[in-house]
Amino acid sequence: MKILLILAWRNLWRNRKRTLITVSSVLFAVLLATLFVSMEKGSYERLIDSMVRYSTGYIQIQDVLFDEEPSIDHTLLFDEEIEAILKKNDEQIAFHVPRLQNFVLVATENNTRGSILNGIDPELEIRMNDLNEDLVKGEFLKPDDNGLMLAEGLAGILNVTVGDTLVLLGQGFHGSTAAGTYPVKGIVDLKIPEINNNTIYMSLSEAQWFYGTGNRVTSLIIMPENPARTQQLAENLRMMIDPEWHRVLTWEELLEDLLNLMKFDVAGTMIMMMILYIIIAFGLFGTILTMLIERRKEFALLFSLGMKRAQVAIVCFFEALFISMAGVVLGIIISIPVVAWFYHHPIPLSGDMAEAIADYGFEPVLPFSADPNIFLNQALIVLIISFLIGLFPVYKVFRIHIMEAKK
Amino acid sequence: MKTVIKTTNLQKIYNNSVAPVKAVNDISLEFKEGEFTAIVGPSGSGKTTFLNLIGGLDKPTGGEIFIDGTEISTMKESELFDFRLRNIGFVFQSYNLIPVLTAKENVSFIMLLQKRPKAEMEKRATEMLEQVGLSDKLNSRPNQLSGGQQQRVAVARALASKPKFVLADEPTANLDTESAFNLLDIMEKLNKEENITLIFSTHDQRVIERAGRVITLVDGRVSEDEVGSSRFEV
Repeated sequence: MKILLILAWRNLWRNRKRTLITVSSVLFAVLLATLFVSMEKGSYERLIDSMVRYSTGYIQIQDVLFDEEPSIDHTLLFDEEIEAILKKNDEQIAFHVPRLQNFVLVATENNTRGSILNGIDPELEIRMNDLNEDLVKGEFLKPDDNGLMLAEGLAGILNVTVGDTLVLLGQGFHGSTAAGTYPVKGIVDLKIPEINNNTIYMSLSEAQWFYGTGNRVTSLIIMPENPARTQQLAENLRMMIDPEWHRVLTWEELLEDLLNLMKFDVAGTMIMMMILYIIIAFGLFGTILTMLIERRKEFALLFSLGMKRAQVAIVCFFEALFISMAGVVLGIIISIPVVAWFYHHPIPLSGDMAEAIADYGFEPVLPFSADPNIFLNQALIVLIISFLIGLFPVYKVFRIHIMEAKK
Repeated sequence: MKTVIKTTNLQKIYNNSVAPVKAVNDISLEFKEGEFTAIVGPSGSGKTTFLNLIGGLDKPTGGEIFIDGTEISTMKESELFDFRLRNIGFVFQSYNLIPVLTAKENVSFIMLLQKRPKAEMEKRATEMLEQVGLSDKLNSRPNQLSGGQQQRVAVARALASKPKFVLADEPTANLDTESAFNLLDIMEKLNKEENITLIFSTHDQRVIERAGRVITLVDGRVSEDEVGSSRFEV
């Protein structure tokens, strides 16, 4: 085997320029593919992170019927039983955030609008998503506050400001009527227009009183110590809760629609990647084909001397593998610092695109992901391509006719 | 003397179905151990085809080839690869050496494929390169050697593994007179010292005069078979 490796390695350097050009083409393809995937994944990661932090959290415990029919009647009783379950998983849980969320009709003297009322624990909400940083007017809610905090868009639609009073009317627990008047204490800018135009915050205790739910919540958000172990924590919780009444959902289940949309988008990216892989494949194939054609006499000599076809085929296969491995390894070595640079220094956007992204509450930059799987996946894909191309000389070597090759 | 190679009614016909060309036509010959034989004849007389057949590189259309009593014309390709490796040494007219290996590695190559012990390979390769006068070129690559030196390395390689016989297809064709005589001296010396049967094709008169036996081919047939000073019309 050693002599086969020596032959393959030395054969690569017979035409140094050609080998270096081929290695470079693989290298640049790996670098481009890695940057491309890192940029796409970076954008998705940021979007998912925002959705998880501002909306769903990593895990939610809900009433078993809430996901199918979100209603104030399908709320979860946050009692000692649930608290005991959380305590048993204390080491894996960073904190939990209770929320009571329901539709409500909000009215002023001249305006009425349907909105979503969020009963929140202000301190835990700040811990989860720094909501206080979005405050643009007035004060942030306190745990026992009896006022409201309005999204800026909704405040504009209703033409109200801090100090004004709103009338809230909705359906309370088990068909009761929920009604009350509340002063506006603060206004927050929630960036995303759909949310910014219909969101009201109230302290959890006040919301539970308003809807008459007692100690009930629509969802109990669980933030894990280690987000990478979300699945494991969710499984632990599933084993402990009563499945007849409660349900544990991970962010992947809660954001299923968004993830499906991303998968569809990834399919488009895959077409771009395929083009890149085809370029790699043809570059490598061209080199291998040339090496085969110009060495026919050499193969005839090796066969005459008694070298088996399989041994010659292994040499050719190793040559293809060495070229691509050199390209892949160098590509990864170069792409690690490049991706790391862009991960820490995302590409700033400008113009309309920057404004549109800023409107949705995101920093107007192209973020990159530094997920190690990106490098490993690219390396693996290119190696599989090279492996398949490396099979071509194997096939050809087994078909060479010694007497024809000798001519 | 023991018969190393025997052919009976050997035939090789090209374009069998369209316009048959009898490259080798009914050749029956025997080669004894230690013989130094030249196969001569004009271009297209069948010299190379005959060597390819007895070297197991090509399959005959008819007849039989026995090497040391073993019929090789019916062997499978994989068996022939192994048979060549164990029994036959080759020297070609050109493109004889593996370009990426040094002279010493080229000489060791067959022994390496035969999985001989490393120490034995090293010793034998060095010894053979000394015998062909290239002890100072052990680590030279083929492109650092002259044409004559490359042919001497090829002869060293062919003999290093002590095959039953060596086939040389016009080994001196591309060499100047001095290099050709030098190569012949070496082949003749090794033939005597190692007692290895050596058969070579040539139309070079300088070479023919040195051969112990001269077989002349014309149109794929043996027209003359001369041993020593006696010449036979066939």
